[in-house]
Amino acid sequence: MSFCLDTYLQESENYEILISKAGFKESKKFIEEHSSKVMYVNAGEKILGVRIIGIPPIPIGINEDKDTVTLSYTKPCYGTAVIELPVKKEEINNIKSLAINPYKK
Amino acid sequence: MKKALILLGCPEAPAQTPMAVYATYKLTGLGYEVTVASTPSAMKLLEVTDPLKYYIKNKIDIESCLNNAGENSYDFLLGFVHKDAAVSYFVTFYHVLSIKSSMAVVFERDAELLEKFIEDLNESTETTIVSARAYHNPTPLRVKFDRAIEQLGEQ
Repeated sequence: MSFCLDTYLQESENYEILISKAGFKESKKFIEEHSSKVMYVNAGEKILGVRIIGIPPIPIGINEDKDTVTLSYTKPCYGTAVIELPVKKEEINNIKSLAINPYKK
Repeated sequence: MKKALILLGCPEAPAQTPMAVYATYKLTGLGYEVTVASTPSAMKLLEVTDPLKYYIKNKIDIESCLNNAGENSYDFLLGFVHKDAAVSYFVTFYHVLSIKSSMAVVFERDAELLEKFIEDLNESTETTIVSARAYHNPTPLRVKFDRAIEQLGEQ
């Protein structure tokens, strides 16, 4: 079964909420400032099984040493959170294939 | 038949639900088949407001709508924007649908926030924006919406 971020966040505790109830731009800045590598994708790209929500270009932080990604997660009533979670290499490769730019930093 | 999608944000702003019913009524009058996408709680408000589905015939959960939407799924996108998250949702739907015709109804009590939402929308879309300082009272929005929808009808 393919990975689904919504299900993962409900069923796993193995993720970190870095900021919460924030605005999208604040979250974007946080990801850019706290990630060793940042990739940018278009709004609505399917990342970890769900469409990523935000104002493009949307940053995704990649840590290939820890195999984690850091991304924004938006809900209508709760604003935007930034979460970091472990993922498989294939998910990182999928993000790379969708990236507008290969790398920033 | 032309298809319109109405996006609702968090339902905590009282003006949103009556404006959603009103917008559905107006778009239906222009010949659109209207679907309203919302959170479960915003959908409950619509169900109580319009129990016989006189105005709102089609409702869908906003998350499943987004996951299944694709280019050209709809002819017109109308979004209610009164929170930062609603800007993000509107922009995302705008790009996923590759929509040609759209309108964002932006409202907030705080003038600076209202301006920020408008700037963010202008930055990444070419949508028509209807805006007013409003929260409880839908009238300022309805008046501006009527003018904008009249222009849409003339196109």
